[in-house]
Amino acid sequence: MSRRRTTPLAVRRHRTGYLFSLPGLVFLALLLAYPLLYNVWTSVHAVSLSSRLGGPEPFNGLANYRSVLTDPAFWRAVRVSALFTVGSLVCQFTIGFALALLFIRPFPFNGLLRSLLLMAWLLPPIVSGTLFRWMLDGDSGAYNALLRSTGLGVLTHDWLTDPSTALACVIAANIWVGVPFNMLLLLVGLHGIDPELYEAAALDGAGAWQRFRRITLPLMRPVSAAVLLLGLITTFKVFDLIFVMTGGGPVDATTVLSLYVYEVFFRFFRFSQGAAGALLLLTVPLIAAALYVRRLRHERATA
Amino acid sequence: MTHTTDRRSILRTTGAGAAALGLSGALASCDTGGTGKARKPRTVTLTLWDYFTPANFQPVLNDLIAGIEAHVAGVRIRRRAIPFADLVNTLNLAAISGDLPDIAIVDNVSMSSLGGNGLLADLTSRVRRWGQAHAYYPGPWASCQIGGKTLGIPNNSNCLALYYNVSMLHDAGVPPPTDWDQLAATAHRLTTRNRFGLAMSAIRTEEGVFQFLPFLWQSGGDLDTFATSGRTPLAFLKKLIDRGSLSRACLGWTQEDVNARFLSRRAAMQINGPWQIPVLRKAPFDWNVVALPADKTSATCLGGENWVVMATSDHLDKAWQVLEYTQRPSVLVPYLESLGELPARRDLARAGAWTSDPVRKLFLKQLAIARPRRYGPHYADISQAVAEAEQAVLTGSVAPSTAASTAAVKIDKALG
Repeated sequence: MSRRRTTPLAVRRHRTGYLFSLPGLVFLALLLAYPLLYNVWTSVHAVSLSSRLGGPEPFNGLANYRSVLTDPAFWRAVRVSALFTVGSLVCQFTIGFALALLFIRPFPFNGLLRSLLLMAWLLPPIVSGTLFRWMLDGDSGAYNALLRSTGLGVLTHDWLTDPSTALACVIAANIWVGVPFNMLLLLVGLHGIDPELYEAAALDGAGAWQRFRRITLPLMRPVSAAVLLLGLITTFKVFDLIFVMTGGGPVDATTVLSLYVYEVFFRFFRFSQGAAGALLLLTVPLIAAALYVRRLRHERATA
Repeated sequence: MTHTTDRRSILRTTGAGAAALGLSGALASCDTGGTGKARKPRTVTLTLWDYFTPANFQPVLNDLIAGIEAHVAGVRIRRRAIPFADLVNTLNLAAISGDLPDIAIVDNVSMSSLGGNGLLADLTSRVRRWGQAHAYYPGPWASCQIGGKTLGIPNNSNCLALYYNVSMLHDAGVPPPTDWDQLAATAHRLTTRNRFGLAMSAIRTEEGVFQFLPFLWQSGGDLDTFATSGRTPLAFLKKLIDRGSLSRACLGWTQEDVNARFLSRRAAMQINGPWQIPVLRKAPFDWNVVALPADKTSATCLGGENWVVMATSDHLDKAWQVLEYTQRPSVLVPYLESLGELPARRDLARAGAWTSDPVRKLFLKQLAIARPRRYGPHYADISQAVAEAEQAVLTGSVAPSTAASTAAVKIDKALG
């Protein structure tokens, strides 16, 4: 009847959809796309503090990337980051899984204990980092005091100032922080497994180990993959905890990539190299995120 | 390029707008004061950034600002206190975004990098006309001279000295050490199961370098010869750690941590600055201070703050008048006294509370041999190289001579 009707319903629906998502898109463009693109721009130009104050900022191609990739400190940071991430993930996941298996069973104070465990995850990293820094102090730390009072004085150690133990201690602290998160997600996954499966298996004569291997593990695979990928993303960019505990030292024993980039940016003001380093740092979580999103799509498709 | 200029000019305009808003606010408050006095012809609001964040510093700075506003015609001060570790970063970032303050009080070690990047206004001709340069100690004054220009005025000075626990030394029957051999021997004598003979900071930041440089200078070395001269101080400190006289945990200690060890009697001696005096006065034991032990020569590291004017300020004359006002002895003496800081001016050495206080007098005397860290605009690289060399040696992972030559490569490059 009227001309307005000529736009098909589907198109109008699309249009409304875009309209509704507009605030979100603007938000993303301003706070995510712009800084990211600006970072890319910085990484291929010669930008320094003095150039920012009114000097030329010529395009210099991949020179910044080259100087980052030829910096031995960068590769040491890559190694530390890899050790930190792998060490944290393996332990967080195993301990988290074990605790989830424990907490899926009903027992007195289950809820209370679970909430107490969550405290570790709820604490700001600055607070937990400071706590660990004090507890691990070589002279007046709680751990050494504990060792001394239990007659294990020979084991006392300068935990955070010895390059051979500093990284392990930082990893341990990060494990403590990350376990509750892993446990919680895995617990949700365990709740999703149909109890009838276990009953049926038990009736068929499967033991506890067999039930775990044949039912729990295979059914937990999607959840586990998600937890590990999320863990990889969060662990790879940990900054505050290490910054507070060791500041990257002794020497550079605990300088992970995020700390390395921070130093290039805010200690030496080499903005171009910092931007290049930050983009290189970004690739790992980006790949993990892509895998995670692909998994989600896959799950939705098969569901 | 046009892109950045545009952006900056926009920021500058917004900054000016914000300043204008602040200004009109200040004027409005004048009016509501309602004293009936005629309004001053033109009032400008100057922003001041510093890192005097402790609570007990606030009334002192408020008094100073009240004094400035009363005595420098047509000036209002808006102050912002930024934590110590962030001030230089914040200034550098503000330089990029175009909203620098007019005046700042900065650590003297950051003069070279701020000046080298062109952030600081040249005060040379004003200072020459002012004619009071000779009144300052050479070290603090030199810290304001960058590239042949005067870029600041010292606010206050400090340096490092050796604090000791009187009864611990008395019980051990040893006098306070005056040279390196005595320092090593005394620290060893004073070390027991529950305490270390000496505490100092060897943390991987400028704080650790501040404490390390006196050893380098005392041994006759300097940063330009670090490849050869760096070995001696590194080896000496390594020896203190190997003998257990100095805790290896000092690699993670700030100077606050060091003072905490001394206060809790877990260290018989400590290397620290005069800013710890107010805290130490509350200690339940007797302590005293002597000059840092000498090796080939005596030396200590100069700390303290300088007043600077930002090159971008639109009110250079007013800002200079503010600086000039703060340096009048009648203003400076009570101000420094209540901050517990030492003057950078020789002519005030016999003026304030520091004359009757033997501890402050000792620090004041050391200012004569205190050296500024004046190593050019790339000092941050040098500082990191030194800190890493020290940490590598003290953790036992690298020999002193290797660490010194590795660091020297980076230092020489940064010295240019």
